Amino acid sequence: MNSPSDDADTGTSRRSLLAAGATGLSIAASGCIDRVQSVVDSDAAEQLSLSILSLPAADGDRESAEIARHLEGNLEAVGIDATISTRSESEFLEAILIDQDFDLYVGRHPADFDPDFLYETLHSTYEYDQGWQNPFSFTDTLSIDPLLERQRNETGADRERAVTELLEAIAQVKPFEPICVANEYRAVRTDRFDGWDETHLGTGRGYLGLESATSSDTEQLHALVTDQRLAQTFNPLSPTTREQDVIVDLVYDSLAVPTWSVPDEAEATEEETQAGAEVIDAANVSIEPWLATDWEWDGDTRTMTVDIREDCTFHDHTEGDSNDDNGNNGTDSAIPLTAEDVRFTYRFLADTTYGRTSSASPAPRYQGHASAVDSVTVEDDYRLTISFSTDRAVAERALTVPILPSGSDSPWIAHLESRVDSTDDDWSPTQGDWSIVTTDHAPPTGSGPYKYDSHDAGESVTLTRFEDHFTLRDDDHDLPAPTADELHFEVDPGTSSSVERVASGDADITTSVLDTYALESTLDDEAVSFVESPSWSFYHVGFNTHNTLCSSPRFRRAVSQLIDKQWVVEDVFAAEDSARPVATPVAEEWTPDSLAWDDGELVTTFIGEDGDVNVDAARELFASAFEYDGGELVR
Amino acid sequence: MLTQVLLQLVVVVTLMVLVSIAVFVGRYRLRDTRLEWRARIRAAAPVSALLAAVLLFNSVARQYGPDVSWIIHWNLTWPIYDVEGEFILWLQSFEAPAITAYFSFIYIYGYVFLLVFPVIAYFALSNTRPLRELLTAYTLNYVLGLGLYVFIVAYGPRNMMPELVDALLYDTYPQYQHLTRQVNRNTNVFPSLHTSLAATVMFLAFRTRAIYPKWFLLATGLGVSIAISTMYLGIHWAIDVAAGIVLAYICVALAHVLVGRWSFTAWVASLRDSSTSTGADTNTGANAGFPKTPPSESTSKSHSHSDSDSEPESETGSDPEPERA
Repeated sequence: MNSPSDDADTGTSRRSLLAAGATGLSIAASGCIDRVQSVVDSDAAEQLSLSILSLPAADGDRESAEIARHLEGNLEAVGIDATISTRSESEFLEAILIDQDFDLYVGRHPADFDPDFLYETLHSTYEYDQGWQNPFSFTDTLSIDPLLERQRNETGADRERAVTELLEAIAQVKPFEPICVANEYRAVRTDRFDGWDETHLGTGRGYLGLESATSSDTEQLHALVTDQRLAQTFNPLSPTTREQDVIVDLVYDSLAVPTWSVPDEAEATEEETQAGAEVIDAANVSIEPWLATDWEWDGDTRTMTVDIREDCTFHDHTEGDSNDDNGNNGTDSAIPLTAEDVRFTYRFLADTTYGRTSSASPAPRYQGHASAVDSVTVEDDYRLTISFSTDRAVAERALTVPILPSGSDSPWIAHLESRVDSTDDDWSPTQGDWSIVTTDHAPPTGSGPYKYDSHDAGESVTLTRFEDHFTLRDDDHDLPAPTADELHFEVDPGTSSSVERVASGDADITTSVLDTYALESTLDDEAVSFVESPSWSFYHVGFNTHNTLCSSPRFRRAVSQLIDKQWVVEDVFAAEDSARPVATPVAEEWTPDSLAWDDGELVTTFIGEDGDVNVDAARELFASAFEYDGGELVR
Repeated sequence: MLTQVLLQLVVVVTLMVLVSIAVFVGRYRLRDTRLEWRARIRAAAPVSALLAAVLLFNSVARQYGPDVSWIIHWNLTWPIYDVEGEFILWLQSFEAPAITAYFSFIYIYGYVFLLVFPVIAYFALSNTRPLRELLTAYTLNYVLGLGLYVFIVAYGPRNMMPELVDALLYDTYPQYQHLTRQVNRNTNVFPSLHTSLAATVMFLAFRTRAIYPKWFLLATGLGVSIAISTMYLGIHWAIDVAAGIVLAYICVALAHVLVGRWSFTAWVASLRDSSTSTGADTNTGANAGFPKTPPSESTSKSHSHSDSDSEPESETGSDPEPERA
């Protein structure tokens, strides 16, 4: 963990060197003399400098980029030498989650419907872990850790109180500062497939149970994604592929799935039905059985007895069964999914080396889920008992992880064996960044309703309907089954071009979330509309608390006051009411009164008005902790 | 979608080229070309093969280039933005739909035309030196420019300044993104290869202004428009354009020095004398052996020997695929 600071130092000097080189290229550009001057004079008292990691505006996330520039301008105004470092989506995630090489960043957090995601996000256990667990390297063992644990152990109103206390504590110490939550918008066309408004399109469920138009001659559903990594890597453990959840959900089954209720026409407010936008209810999420047929919770022992569906199999990717009738052929050679695979999954997520090394190597995703599980006991092939360290709500959330195959045919086991064989005794893979996590993992072996078929690296990926899936086979359920024969996900990095392709009939849906400015484009076609889905994913500024400046809560609070959330929501997000400012990172129904945006007494307010910072007041704020030298904040 | 855009591009550029041939090249040069084309192709074949090899290598390397770039990690976006300030925003303040339409047309069609037409115009000259210098300069542009792309990661204005909303190429004409995505990475902006290749044609047009005076004027107009279009459309910074012009100057100067220094034809002839080479090796020999061959007699005059056997390589060699630029 020493190396990031070294890197940062050389990075700065290299950057200023290049700046000097670039200066030489354009002597005409104004301001270059000043810049050279400041490099020369910088010996005496060093100005505080911060680098803000962000995404490219046109090919990444326009809103994030604009918030980053807002913050950068205001940091400059108070005398901090702020720069923006633009990275591609996967490089951005890698810098934050794997290398932890950043000062500040502006981006989206995937978050979750349940506040328990904060456990993996902030618990000090994960201080040095790579992945979505604690990217801020934040530690507060006295107040935050106990609260994170308490909300896992309480239930009902007690849990609500614990969550409120936790959120208030987080708002004080600010390991990150939530800015706003934006609704997700996707363009869909309904002439080939309909029923898009039944559930959340950010999950695999959104692609099941569709209604296929009778006149349709094509049974392929054509979806567009912006991230080309989606067509390169299929590793469900990879933390650096954003928006892969849809494909993971479709290829893998989980014991249970989060389910959204759809409000009746009558209940939907006028706003919700405006402009043809369909809305599902954000508040009403429940965990419903999927691969599990049923479970029984024993509150005294905190154990759950789970029954899983019988005769399910993993996808068979061996040669020969793809062309001929794979109904028979597939069942014969396919690996059955049993309770043993569930046991393997939880143990593997907790330690990707599966006990081959002295210290566990947790997966860089799903740690909040896996850490809730104490042990799994296999009762018989289709029944298991899971012992939890948490109460029911958190325990049920743990049922949503993808079930991975165990056994000798498992690609995970095979990878593990080959690594153990090819290295010497003291094998110690880097947690979160060793090959089992970073490999492409193609073809992915899951048991989900769609099976990986083929991919063209960086261009497209095709999934085919898995005919043996229980949703097609069994009729003892009302779960949605796959409709389209094939799902074809194609990479199209442009928001405008994606919308145009859906509008022209070239595609059925934009799977990736659209930038809100796309909503301004007019859709002439009746079959095309924008679907709005609620989101928990929040825009935020993340602080690397291992950075000397950002390690100070006082500094983090002061920086938080430089962001005008109201202005961001009104000015940065083009479409009206597409985003709402937030003071706390959880879904609306969990937000305590003290942190309600409108009148909460703990809400951090912007120091200024309409996006323009009040420089004098802001400088006073920083002057209480740092020194000014000729307008520059110095250390 | 892509094929449709491509087809449109081919049709429009072909029309532009045909009109230009009529206007600039003229009947007499075409008549001579019909008589001398074999010799001219033979003279230009080695450098054409080299250019084709570079383009082929590029299309393969493009898949790995970005990964390598991120490893080397010289992110120039901020320094450029910091030095340059908001010049692009100023340029965009002149935004109007007609101007956006003009520059979008120039950026796609004008550019491809500007690269394709001089190949034909110079091919129509008995002296093959301008043609060989042009193709050599193209090759150098690619080699040096793509070399820089490996080391330097930089995002263009459209990725840095979200407020550039109205005049962006891909928002106004989303279909072009399918085209440019085939040949460009969004982190490859320094230097501007659009500018450098356009400026290369401009510099060479200046040199041949005695032969093609009107073409020199058109090339200058187009070249300047292309340079402005890259900035106006938010794709490049002014610094990228400046660097592109410098790169073009270097490439044209280098091409002037290099062309005629080695004769591939003479080298083949010397090999034939020692009779150790087989015909099948000529293509690989062109790439590997070409620069290493010691200087032999100067070939600044056009070759005039007319061998009776026609060379099969003439078809592949004459197509430098400039639209890949």
